[in-house]
Amino acid sequence: MPPKSGHHRAKNVDYEEDDVYSDDDYYENEEGGGMTDEDREQMRIGAIKVKEALNSSITVSDSQIQEALWHYYYDVGKSVTYLKNKHAPATTTTQPKKQKAVSRFDQAVSAASTPKKPETGEQSAFLMPPNRIKELCTAPSLKCTFQSRRANIKDFDTNTGASECWASAEYPCLYPIPDVMDHVPLSAAEFFRDTPWLNVPTHRLGEITVEPLFPRGGLLGGSSKPSKLAALAAARKKKQEEAKNATSTSTDPGDMKAEADKAVALLDRLSVKSKESASPSSALVQPQPVEQKSAQSKYPSRKRSQTPTTAFQESETPTPEPETSAPVEIPHLRAGPSMFASTLCGITPLPVKRQHLDSTSFPLPYTSTRGFTDTNPFTGPSPDDIVLSARVKGNKSKPGPNKKPNGNKLAESVEKLSVEEVPKVKSKNLNVVEEFEKSGMKRMANFVVIGHVDHGKSTLMGRLLYDLKVIDQRSVDKLRKEAETIGKSSFALAWIMDQTSEERSRGVTVDIATNYFETDKTRFTILDAPGHRDFIPNMIAGASQADFAVLVIDASTNSFESGLKGQTKEHALLVRSMGVQRLVVAVNKMDTVNWSQDRFEEISQQMTAFLTAASFSGKSITFIPCAGLTGENVTRKIEEGKASWYNGQTLIEALDASEPAKRSLEKPFRLTVSDVFRGSITNPVSIAGRIDAGSIQVGDTILSMPANEAGVIKGVEVENEPVDWAVAGQIATFHLAELDPVHLRLGDIICDPKKPVTLTKSFTAKILAFEHVLPMGVDVFRGRMSAEANVTKLVAVLNKGTGEVEKKKVRIVKPGEVARVVVQLDRELPLEVGVRVVLREGGNTVAAGLLEMCS
Amino acid sequence: MNTDRRRINAPSGGTTPPIFARTVKVPGYLESLRPSRTRGPNELRKIFLQTGIIPSASGSAYLEVPLPRTSNSSSLIPPRSSLKITCSIQGPKPLPRSAPFSPSLLLTTAVKFAPFASRNRRGYIRDSIERDLGVHLETALRGVLIGERWPKSGVEVIVTVVEGDEDGWWGDSTPGIGGGITGSGMGAGWGLLNILAGCITVSSAAIADAGIDCVDLVSGGVAAIVRNPDTKKKEGEKGDFVRMLDPCPAEHQDIVAACVVGYLAGRDEVTEIWLKGNVGAIPDELIDGATQAAVGSLSVLKEVVMEAVEAKFQGQVIQEKEGLKRKHPQQDAEMVG
Repeated sequence: MPPKSGHHRAKNVDYEEDDVYSDDDYYENEEGGGMTDEDREQMRIGAIKVKEALNSSITVSDSQIQEALWHYYYDVGKSVTYLKNKHAPATTTTQPKKQKAVSRFDQAVSAASTPKKPETGEQSAFLMPPNRIKELCTAPSLKCTFQSRRANIKDFDTNTGASECWASAEYPCLYPIPDVMDHVPLSAAEFFRDTPWLNVPTHRLGEITVEPLFPRGGLLGGSSKPSKLAALAAARKKKQEEAKNATSTSTDPGDMKAEADKAVALLDRLSVKSKESASPSSALVQPQPVEQKSAQSKYPSRKRSQTPTTAFQESETPTPEPETSAPVEIPHLRAGPSMFASTLCGITPLPVKRQHLDSTSFPLPYTSTRGFTDTNPFTGPSPDDIVLSARVKGNKSKPGPNKKPNGNKLAESVEKLSVEEVPKVKSKNLNVVEEFEKSGMKRMANFVVIGHVDHGKSTLMGRLLYDLKVIDQRSVDKLRKEAETIGKSSFALAWIMDQTSEERSRGVTVDIATNYFETDKTRFTILDAPGHRDFIPNMIAGASQADFAVLVIDASTNSFESGLKGQTKEHALLVRSMGVQRLVVAVNKMDTVNWSQDRFEEISQQMTAFLTAASFSGKSITFIPCAGLTGENVTRKIEEGKASWYNGQTLIEALDASEPAKRSLEKPFRLTVSDVFRGSITNPVSIAGRIDAGSIQVGDTILSMPANEAGVIKGVEVENEPVDWAVAGQIATFHLAELDPVHLRLGDIICDPKKPVTLTKSFTAKILAFEHVLPMGVDVFRGRMSAEANVTKLVAVLNKGTGEVEKKKVRIVKPGEVARVVVQLDRELPLEVGVRVVLREGGNTVAAGLLEMCS
Repeated sequence: MNTDRRRINAPSGGTTPPIFARTVKVPGYLESLRPSRTRGPNELRKIFLQTGIIPSASGSAYLEVPLPRTSNSSSLIPPRSSLKITCSIQGPKPLPRSAPFSPSLLLTTAVKFAPFASRNRRGYIRDSIERDLGVHLETALRGVLIGERWPKSGVEVIVTVVEGDEDGWWGDSTPGIGGGITGSGMGAGWGLLNILAGCITVSSAAIADAGIDCVDLVSGGVAAIVRNPDTKKKEGEKGDFVRMLDPCPAEHQDIVAACVVGYLAGRDEVTEIWLKGNVGAIPDELIDGATQAAVGSLSVLKEVVMEAVEAKFQGQVIQEKEGLKRKHPQQDAEMVG
């Protein structure tokens, strides 16, 4: 059908509309506005003359005459000829136009209205679906669009045969605009109803589906042919299926019908066993509710021989055999949706919107042609099948019975298999305690160096290391040179211990520094603690690792006194409460007071008084005068004449004299993490810390608390030397495997997974108060670890010496008193009975205590 | 305890379950509120199951064991916990290029408790219990999927426990699900078994919804051996034992042993089994009970899956009928021009 006629029609409409539009109001206004009285007079006269001249042969309106006169400047003659020319042919040209308007489309419509008569060839050309015609006549006006849309909608709604469609075509003007506007509320969704971005009616969705015959056995992207193995498997499967089908058809004819609906049939096969085992006649009948005495056989599961009598059977009726009760009723277990479920799923169960499953198959146009249906290319076997069957024939000669022994072998070998978790790190399975005794290792001792800030702790230790040749001359010279360049030459020795740039520039120790040295008897680990009051937590961490302590006191005037008020006192109290028994008091900087005996005596007396008050025993305190900067009485004796009054030990002798701490080797392994770092590429997770108890060797599994994550020890280093094992008292570095560093934090406890540390949220502790203790918020420190906590209850005040209860119902614990309190932690910490903790509040140490009970 | 160390956590003190004043004042008040088992020992709780709840997932399902309506609302203490689990299936989808070649479908399971799923709040990082459940679930599902049909692809089964069965009633000593917080609750974890059974059933429904080929529908069931409370009172010392299907831990004070199975009823196969507690010499009784419970939940599962399938195929059937109707007149009309 040529689209021309429709197009023409649209054009005509346009012209007509233009004509309608041309009314003269606009021009009149302009005319009236620009005319003088004289002009009007002329116009009036001219108009009369022109009317006469035209002689009513042509009907022309006054306004047209006036316009012509205006254009020809009131020339009557010219105006008349113009008007005659303009209006005479106009009547003749309109005539053919109207004839043309009866277009082929209209013919078609008229022909359509009498559909039984279409005989001529021309009319048959219009035999088209009605909506197609409608679409052709879509003029630019909205009206037509609505009409066609309305027609479309109707088509889809009724969805009936062609006859009805024709009916709608009979009355193309059935739906004038207002009607459409009234009855079809035009929402956006309605307007774009069948556009592709909205809900397209399912029957209009095209989808090309290729239904696979069988799920592909091969690999994706491989050749289309299945491999030999796959072909064999497929063949075997096919055989089995055939066999199964044969049996099922013989037993259950009802299944044949069910075959039609495969999905449903598949589900049917999932049904309870007993149903299948029932006789074919009963399988066809719906299982009838059989009266049952109890709910015994509600969920028959499997066919089994008599269950062996158990202890429980006495109290219970024996389980029924499913075989005996053939059709069973399963009680209705399905519940309606709860409030939550109905909100989640929608009150009515949602219609499943799965378009690909709706599978509107769109027939390809050529499928209906005769040639296509006749050829039917899939009747015979495919070329691949031919080849495969040929191969199968060729292979048939291979012996089949081989399979059976094969299967047995397989079963045997499977039985032999045993799953064994192979740890990545092999343990040597040493008896570490025995090993340790055999090794005859030197005594080991860790000591912490404490004292007020600037009393020379780091320098004294630097001197000790230097004199013992742990640090060579060269590096000390280098440090000395560096120190001189920034004008702090006296700090050179301290820099042996203080290695970070911040510590060096500020001239104070910030964090614990560790170093090792060895005498003939003992191997020492130095823990150089910071003296500044801001870094007390670090000092606590160091002190918790120490066996004994070296308290450094500045002998120079005023320094000792200021220290006694400050950290000399606090540190001494802290180390005592951390369980340090033995104290070496190094009275430092004796050179600045000319090795005055009086000064030494004074300091000794004051300190002895204070320390005994802090419950150090007098025997375990040793006073040593020394000078760290010059190195006198550190490792070598004082030069003759300087201090003839002193003939006691040097500092190193005093250290050597310290009794070794007892090692708790037999206890379960415990280690406090004092450092977590990346050792190297091969050892991405490394930790360092003092082994508090027990022993460990390479390959052992450990547990990190409070993260509760397990890991494996990959390597152990003691004093920077790789070793196979480590025991309590040693400060060692461990390389870990299978543990994420996220789970490790400073202060965490590493323990034996068999005997893990318990996490505690509240505990009872015996405390020594340094400040007033009320039920209040405190920070609990245990080594590096700290947590916020509350002192919830003051249980009793105890006798300092005997530990007996002196007073119950305590409101406040005064400084210096020993009390029993209950502490509630904000988060759980790995704490054990016997652990020493420090309570601090707002930067001040409030109390130190010993855990008595965890709960 | 597995603390979340990558971000700043909420205050740890704020997550202890509430303690109601009356439970402290009136001794035995909690016990009086303890729900009692009204159904028979071989009767299961009702199950609500719905597939296709998450449109963007290739398959999804929601399972709930709703509470029975109770009129007793004098106390603010919530009655017993109800089980609410959602499951979504992502895939089968191709493995990333970086992954090594796999000749069959790779199954990944993830079980996560919502933070509010239990009395004790749970963290946002999967803890060891959740990972453990995930492994159990994977075991249960692995044997069911026919993985050879999807080489080089993977499927993820993501289970979210919106509300989990608790391990006991309020006053019971066991803290949290599986001792989630204190880490040392060895005797606890009875609720976990119910959760696992729910996980198995719901993921089975979701897998069916996703249209992944399976050998059978797997379903989960729980049975427990419980000390009989009635006889205990009479005889004084040792009560005898009763086997209960689908035990609700809040209802039973003394659960001696429990067992969960993933069971293929059509093939009579067990894909997953998890026994807990002192089973005694012969665990068969208990396992039998669990399989019976699994068959019970299968009945619901089957019904739901059938409904879903029918809903899917109904549309298709109508479509085909329409297609037939249309085809006819179309063949008559000849297109000319």
